[in-house]
Amino acid sequence: MEKLINILEELNPDVDYANCEDLVDGRYLDSLTILSLISEIEDNFGVVIPTVEIIPANFNSAKKIWDLILRLQEEE
Amino acid sequence: MSYFDVVYFLAFLPIVIIVYSLLPKKIKPLILLIASLVFFFLYSRWLIVFIIISALSIFLAAKKITKIENEKKEAIKDLDVLTKSKVKATYIKKKKLILIITVLFNVAFLFYFKYLGFFTGVLNSLIKIFNVSNGFKIIKHLAPIGISFYTLSAISYIVDIYHGKYECENNFLKLLLYLTFFPTLVEGPITRYNEVKDTLYEGNKVTYKSFCFGYQRILYGIFKKMVIADRLNIFVKIIFNDYNNFSGPIVFLGAIFYTILLYMEFSGTMDIVIGSAEIFGIKIPENFREPFFSKNISEFWSRWHISLGLWFKDYIFYPVSLSRGVKKITSKVKEIFGMRVSSLLMGAIALFAVWSLNGLWHGAGYQYLFFGYYHFFLILMGNIFEPLIAKVCHLLKINRQNWFYKLIQIIKTCLLVFIGELFFRANNLTSGLQMMKQIITNFTFKGFNKTVITLGLDIKDFIIIGISLIFILIISILKEKKIEIRENLSKKHLVIRWLCYYALILSIIVFGAYGEGYVPVEPIYADF
Repeated sequence: MEKLINILEELNPDVDYANCEDLVDGRYLDSLTILSLISEIEDNFGVVIPTVEIIPANFNSAKKIWDLILRLQEEE
Repeated sequence: MSYFDVVYFLAFLPIVIIVYSLLPKKIKPLILLIASLVFFFLYSRWLIVFIIISALSIFLAAKKITKIENEKKEAIKDLDVLTKSKVKATYIKKKKLILIITVLFNVAFLFYFKYLGFFTGVLNSLIKIFNVSNGFKIIKHLAPIGISFYTLSAISYIVDIYHGKYECENNFLKLLLYLTFFPTLVEGPITRYNEVKDTLYEGNKVTYKSFCFGYQRILYGIFKKMVIADRLNIFVKIIFNDYNNFSGPIVFLGAIFYTILLYMEFSGTMDIVIGSAEIFGIKIPENFREPFFSKNISEFWSRWHISLGLWFKDYIFYPVSLSRGVKKITSKVKEIFGMRVSSLLMGAIALFAVWSLNGLWHGAGYQYLFFGYYHFFLILMGNIFEPLIAKVCHLLKINRQNWFYKLIQIIKTCLLVFIGELFFRANNLTSGLQMMKQIITNFTFKGFNKTVITLGLDIKDFIIIGISLIFILIISILKEKKIEIRENLSKKHLVIRWLCYYALILSIIVFGAYGEGYVPVEPIYADF
């Protein structure tokens, strides 16, 4: 989780990732940032994020993104 | 029969409501299907066969994909990790083949009906350049109504099934209803199966509330179209056909009026679509969210024709940007230039694909492709310069949340939208470019006031348009502030409520631009 927070902070340092629950809906993560984030997650956590998983519900908070990573690692 | 025909909202819709209400809950969705097929037949006659074939293709393909998926689950149950991934890959290959064939099959229909003429023309131009032969005969076909909309819905269904987003539909008639549902058939929104299935097949009762809410929304749509769009149509037609005879500001005013006309016509149709479905308790997602409050072009497209933007995002933007080929290119760029440049490139490639297709989706013509690339360029520039603008604002201590800064951004976005819509409406690309030239090189306000009132609209028309736009602006501001206007109105006293309804009906009858001297706007998006 800490590694993920570091990645997120590198992409946009002005967000409180511990508490923010609307990263996508609140426009803290736009399409381009999501692309960078996905690329970083895939490189760092050894998972492939299918496009069908790129929905606000999976990216609205650091916790949700972390859950997605864990789920995909389990499915691999 | 368009949604603005009296026959639709005073005959077709009431008949469907009555029959639907009289029959038991279980049969209600079937009534909607029959009504939808009748509606389709009235528009496109025998071409109805093509939508049935499309529905059948995705129905059978989805069943087959689900079967393969179940077989895969069974086959990999007790295997070790290495064998598991090998077996998985075999099944995925099979699924993918079915997906590709089904998508191509549906796209082929769209291509045949909509793009064959355009691409034959392009081919003929190339042949002419190289002087090889006389070229091919350009054949234009009458397309099934709503083919651009229902094909995208069909593709979204089969792709989602492939990804296991939801379970496939086992009842063909239900899937056929999803594709043919009469309110969304002609101009969208491009609905997703999982968004509408619950209320579409529920057979909900028509209640007093659903009836009133539905017809309120329909009336609001008719108001937008008949009072504003149809009135502006006269002015817009003159300007776009005779732009050479007018000064720059008049031509630009024509572009502004066309943008307003387009918004009123298309969002008005969406009000009728959503209102019609609401009567039957069916929830259709909104297709507009006050687009003229957008602070940049990217935001504008997330508020205008939302369902199309989301479709392109989910089925083109992300799949292209995260495809193996693009990833390969961008990973090399990332090593040299870093993450920001690589994601910019990734986004740029995907955006190019999105806007090429978006332009072509709107029409088979060079001006539509130009319209697409114009937006591609604006969004790309926005992506590139955003960090720089943020830095400059930070250095100059400009608060970007300040209302004045926001207002400037909104005005800038509107101006860019007006230019885009000018090309969109122009008779062809050359006309669009000439109109822009006219705006820049002949920018004089000499005789502006006198000319404006000779273009089919008099002072009275301008006053009606002005007041109506203020009325819609107030409603838009309230919606932007998340104030539920209709819910609030429903809590008011009966007399106040009915006064509002009568005021809206009367304003359409009295101020509607119909009869002699007026030419109603043709359903613009129905042609896409």
